[in-house]
Amino acid sequence: MKSAHIQHLYNRVGFGIIPKELARLSKKSKKNVVNELFTSSKKTTILSVDTSFLKGISFKDAKDKNKRRELQKISRKKVQELSTAWFERLNNPSEILREKMTLFWANHFVCENKNILFVQSYNNMLRENALGDFRNFTKSVSKEAAMLSYLNNKQNKKKSPNENFARELMELFTLGQDHYTEQDIKESARSFTGYNHNFKGQFNFKQGQHDDEEKIFFGKLGHFKGDDIVDIILEKKQCARFISEKIYSYFVNESINNNHVDEMVEVFYKDYDIENLMRFVLLSNWFYADENIGTKIKSPIEFLVGINTIVPYKIEKPRQVLLLQRLLGQILLSPPNVAGWKTGRNWIDSNTIVTRLRLPSVLLNNAEIAYSEIGDEETMITDFKKRKLRRKAFIKVSADWSSFEENYKKESNKELVHQIITSKINSGTEEMLERNQQLSKRDFVVQLMSLPEYQLC
Amino acid sequence: MKRRDFLKQTTFASGMFFVPQFLKAFEQLPVKTFSHKKVVIIQLKGGNDGLNTVVPFNNDIYYQQRNNIAIKQNDVFKISDEVGLHKSLKPLEDLYNKGFVSIINNVGYPNPNLSHFRSTDIWQTASDSNEYLQNGWVGRYLDYTKGNPYAAIEVDESLSLMMKGKTQNGLAITDPKMFYNSMRAPFFNNVVTNYNEAHLSEHNLGYLYNTMIDAKSSAKHIYEKSNTKSTSVEYPKNIFGKQLNTISQFINSGLETQVYYAGLSGFDTHANQAGTQERLLKVYAESMEVFINDLQKNNTFEDVLILTFSEFGRRVKQNESKGTDHGTANNVFVMGKNLKKQGLYNNLPNLGDLDKNGNLKYEIDFREIYATILDKWLQVDDVAILNKSFSKLNFV
Repeated sequence: MKSAHIQHLYNRVGFGIIPKELARLSKKSKKNVVNELFTSSKKTTILSVDTSFLKGISFKDAKDKNKRRELQKISRKKVQELSTAWFERLNNPSEILREKMTLFWANHFVCENKNILFVQSYNNMLRENALGDFRNFTKSVSKEAAMLSYLNNKQNKKKSPNENFARELMELFTLGQDHYTEQDIKESARSFTGYNHNFKGQFNFKQGQHDDEEKIFFGKLGHFKGDDIVDIILEKKQCARFISEKIYSYFVNESINNNHVDEMVEVFYKDYDIENLMRFVLLSNWFYADENIGTKIKSPIEFLVGINTIVPYKIEKPRQVLLLQRLLGQILLSPPNVAGWKTGRNWIDSNTIVTRLRLPSVLLNNAEIAYSEIGDEETMITDFKKRKLRRKAFIKVSADWSSFEENYKKESNKELVHQIITSKINSGTEEMLERNQQLSKRDFVVQLMSLPEYQLC
Repeated sequence: MKRRDFLKQTTFASGMFFVPQFLKAFEQLPVKTFSHKKVVIIQLKGGNDGLNTVVPFNNDIYYQQRNNIAIKQNDVFKISDEVGLHKSLKPLEDLYNKGFVSIINNVGYPNPNLSHFRSTDIWQTASDSNEYLQNGWVGRYLDYTKGNPYAAIEVDESLSLMMKGKTQNGLAITDPKMFYNSMRAPFFNNVVTNYNEAHLSEHNLGYLYNTMIDAKSSAKHIYEKSNTKSTSVEYPKNIFGKQLNTISQFINSGLETQVYYAGLSGFDTHANQAGTQERLLKVYAESMEVFINDLQKNNTFEDVLILTFSEFGRRVKQNESKGTDHGTANNVFVMGKNLKKQGLYNNLPNLGDLDKNGNLKYEIDFREIYATILDKWLQVDDVAILNKSFSKLNFV
């Protein structure tokens, strides 16, 4: 397989590739390279943090106001810990494709919660289903405690339907706007009544709160429950199209090629098997077309983890991992709203471009970074007075330069350019790089990563 | 290597003497101002419940539909025999009595979309509900006036669709000094002085370079100009207060920016609405009071028009979670010194005449408000910017 194509593949299903791996894979056929990706992502490694603080705690304890407040405080900290652990995982994944897909689904089945048990369960549910059956996946999503509470489905009861989940299920998770009516939303909401969870976050169906009367959903009549609604939605080819378009825009190109998506829909609609769909995409010729290579704007996480692939680094204070994500506009486990992060050019504005271009030197050369204090709703009201308005920080990082030296020992500065950058290069910038050939390899690679071109993959 | 050596090396290696023509031309571009008026746009994000903000305290249907979340007569301050404002808005009472506030009711659009994101996009792009625009109405205002990026500033860490035009974008900025300082880093200089202009039209790469150049050119100007003025007034210690403080600093220093955009989020109250809304409206009103008084003190209020909207209102009937679901038409607040119509602009919604989903029917298209602001306040061709003709209102 061609090196440039392997690089492209690994940029999209991972976060780049080191020269040794590239050399090894370039001896293989495309089919074998793609096969290897799936094989190495066969199993699922669960991500978890220590939640023993909840041991022996019962629903009763949580009723006590002070006790509850204390638990919530610990829980929020634990969610941040999980967020950092996730970032760590992305930097050192054993199942690359599965982890990248998990990241993708986290921006599809978007959810946020403050309860660590719920968040952890949800995150691993995404991971387990990332390459599985979309039908089961969607049903699982509807039954997770984190989602039941995020979109108010646990408040959705027979006598008082709450439409929040029903609406987003169709608008954001399965069909897209304008493919259902307000009536469909109402009937769907009725079908999901009675969904609830227990204190530990396990799904709990409350028959007494379920509206078991007949409903008419997409012209079908029946005593539907939530799972039936998912089944009926999936009968619509639009669902296969909606998901295919989203995968195409994430993994291939934000500008949709309808012919390519049509092919994907045919594959996906058959069995809603995500692995089959991904295999089809990664084996197709169009995936490797020039117009798709080096043209996608990296998400903040792709950017941060991509740097790590080249020069492994570790941010010493977990809080600063979150700070960096915030400055770039994507905090893991903390999406802006149920529609998730807007991608592509939306990642880049006057602020984020500056931060991004400076970041390699901040991370790898202990430069200083400035930022403004802006908190979430909660910190905004309660903690603001207590918090210092810090404006500058040194990000404490240990960079593993020896790994870099070892991995790239055979490459000259000139060769380094094409190892690091897969997009076209502005000719003025190319001339500048030409003039800077005499820089040490370390300085040169930092400079490469500080270019607008490095924002693309 | 030591950090200092590193920076020195890369700075020297960067060809500092080559200043691209494009950048030069850009910096010398005269600011073409059509009017010295300014607009401050504030979004209450999440869909503020307008019925519990501007309260029809004599309306039986209102209390029937909302038996445990309706605002009681005692919890409003009355502005007419029928209408009271939520008690959290009390800080605005003095401004209201002075005639600085106009409340436009029943604002919406045909075939409303009840999704936050879509409805926000509709408000931000001024599109029809079945039309998907990739640029915002303020962005198109920038296109039209060929304004600098800083002609429109969003006080946030990222830029909304509203501020993105076809050829021009506004600027997202939270702190001018920090913005300026980060642009002076050697790395940034290094890249910004070497590119070849011929490539600036290339798809995403061109976008990256152009954003970089715009940021660089604007940062210095904004910093130097706004640095001359510091605030003497104490703003509430929350993010919204801080945003308004930044805007007042820009306005009072005479920065040429014409449109500002800021937001306060958290209004998506599907459950236990009362406490949340009370808290948020308080944050809103307290900050607005300080902001307007600050502008008055600096004699700049006269040139400022403030518009507060939310992407939609809530359903008339409450749900059983002591909250409300997504609704349609809502009220819009306009604040300014010489408003033509003060107080209630029009009648409150007719709660006896709802659509088939139990939602309010709109009376005024939100784009009539934009058209009025563009035409009468900013004095530009509203049809060219909104792509359509809308009748004008008479609040300014």
